[in-house]
Order: sequence, then structure tokens, then C-alpha cells
Amino acid sequence: MERLRILLVDDEEDLVSAMAERLALRGFQVQTATRAAEALGHLDENPFDVLILDVKMPGISGLSLMAEMKRKHPHLPVILFTGHGSVADAEQGMQEGAFDYLMKPIDVEELIEKIRSAAGSKKGADP
Amino acid sequence: MIGADVSHEVRNVLSVIGEYAGLLDDLVGLADKGRPLDHAKLRNLSTNIAKQVRRGTETMERFSRFAHAADEPLASFDLVALVENMVALVQRRAALAGCRVQAEFSPPAIPVRGDPFALQHLVFSAIQAMLESLEKEEPIRVKVARRGPEAVLCVSGPAAGGEPSGRISEQLSAAVDKCRASLETSLADGVLSLVFTIPIQ
Repeated sequence: MERLRILLVDDEEDLVSAMAERLALRGFQVQTATRAAEALGHLDENPFDVLILDVKMPGISGLSLMAEMKRKHPHLPVILFTGHGSVADAEQGMQEGAFDYLMKPIDVEELIEKIRSAAGSKKGADP
Repeated sequence: MIGADVSHEVRNVLSVIGEYAGLLDDLVGLADKGRPLDHAKLRNLSTNIAKQVRRGTETMERFSRFAHAADEPLASFDLVALVENMVALVQRRAALAGCRVQAEFSPPAIPVRGDPFALQHLVFSAIQAMLESLEKEEPIRVKVARRGPEAVLCVSGPAAGGEPSGRISEQLSAAVDKCRASLETSLADGVLSLVFTIPIQ
């Protein structure tokens, strides 16, 4: 079975490294970025099935970053992480094309379920 | 706003600890299935969890100092410690704005008799005004020093195309009045400076 390729973007370095390892243990191929420019670089160089993105990134909002990524890869499904008590940012992200969102702290099994649904939606959307 | 920032920071800390706990659980689960436990990895995870606990504790201690400043409208306190605490509390906000706040001062203490919460509000408002107005990536510098019977707090940073300092002065006027302080703004060589003179008694 083909391993799903995930790009995980969050400015919390410890969070992305631990989560990437947990996803890798479950058979996913994960690349990480803690800065917007790094994430855009990965996206230019490699194909991904799902993008996981924090709505709050240093210097740029996660939603602006998502918009930039969506311009280049319109069919790439995006799952947003939000650390805020309010879901307003994530709901705005949904209106702007995110596939789904999760509130931190993240339940890894719930994340995996959403990753699989998101990857399935991409397969349906790919030309 | 500080409360929201701290809540965000603590949630991040808990998320990281949650991921490390989950990873430990994953590794133990694999060990149950026969994969040998990597002791160096376990030690590393334990160190990382302790680091996050320290981070969360420090954030909560700083927030506690911030919140307790509201206990008494007139108190004796160290202005240097108060400003240092505020600079630490706004770092996450600054990072999200693509900037950082650099404290350029050190002890000795500057003992002040005044309203500590109002002064915290003044420091926060000044940094927030700069974050909203200035070129990003360059640091905002915060200095505090004693000058005779007064203290001088200076918040400065690179102005974006001649930031209208009059607008910032107006924005900060209520916070300045509440501290019985005065504010002078200047723009020189592309650097906007907000200089507050604060009575120490």
C-alpha cells in the first residue's frame, strides 16, 4: 500500500517532531516545517497528499499561508490546527478551502481519521 | 490580550507534552510487541517533557506576577522587574507579528511607588502600538533607566515609511495619564522612539 505523504507545518518544533514520529510509526511519510518559507520550499520540491497547518505562524497567518499554497496546489487538502479557545480562525479557514480542522491538544487517532478522509477527497479531486 | 496570549502558550505546552506522552505510549506498545526499547530515546523524551514543564511553569509564574499587579492600585515595586516581565510575556505576540522584543537593560532595580497594573498596561500598549506600526523582522528595543527623581522608559523600532507618531501619542494618551507619565516621540534615521518619563514616587 502506498504511504500517504504528509507535510506538517507548525512553529512548535517539539510538537512537529513528536507528532511526525508518531505518524511515521503508523506508516505515514512525514515532512515537517516550522517556518512558512520552509513549508513553501518543501511544497515546491515534493508532492504531498495532505497538508497539516497551524493557523498561527510567525510573521504570516496560517490562513494567508494556506491561500498561498492553495494557489499553487489547489487540490491539496489542508487540515488546520488551532490553539485558540475560539474556533473562529479555523472556521474562516474552512470557508477559505480547508478540508477540516482540529483543536490542540491533538488526538492522533482523530487526526489520522481526518488525514485519510482528506487524502480520499484529494484522489477524487485530482484531474 | 495578555490573558489570551498566555492561554495560547499554555495550550501549546500542553499539546507538546501530550504528543510526548503519546509517543511514549506508542514506544511502550511497540515494546510489548517485541521491539526493544531505546533507552537513550526514553531519556531524551523525559528531558523534553521536563523542558516543557519548565516552560509552562515560567509562563504561569510570569502571568501570576502580571495578574497580581492589579491587587493594589498603589504599591512599591521594581520597575526593571516589571518591564522585564512584560517583555517576556509579549514575545509570543511579537513572534506571530514577525518581530521580537529585545530588553536592553539590567539591574540595579528602580524602586517605584505607583500603580503597577497601570504601568504594565503602559508598557504593553507601547509595545503593541509599535508592533502594529513598524517594519517587521527588526527588533523592538525596550530600555529603562533611572534619571534623578524619575524613570525613563524607551520603546523604539524601525518605522515603516515615517509612521505618524502623533497617532501613536494619541493612542497611548490614556495609559500615559493613568501613570502620571509624559511621552515624547521622535523619528530619527528611520527609527521611531517612544520615550516615557515616569515619576518614581
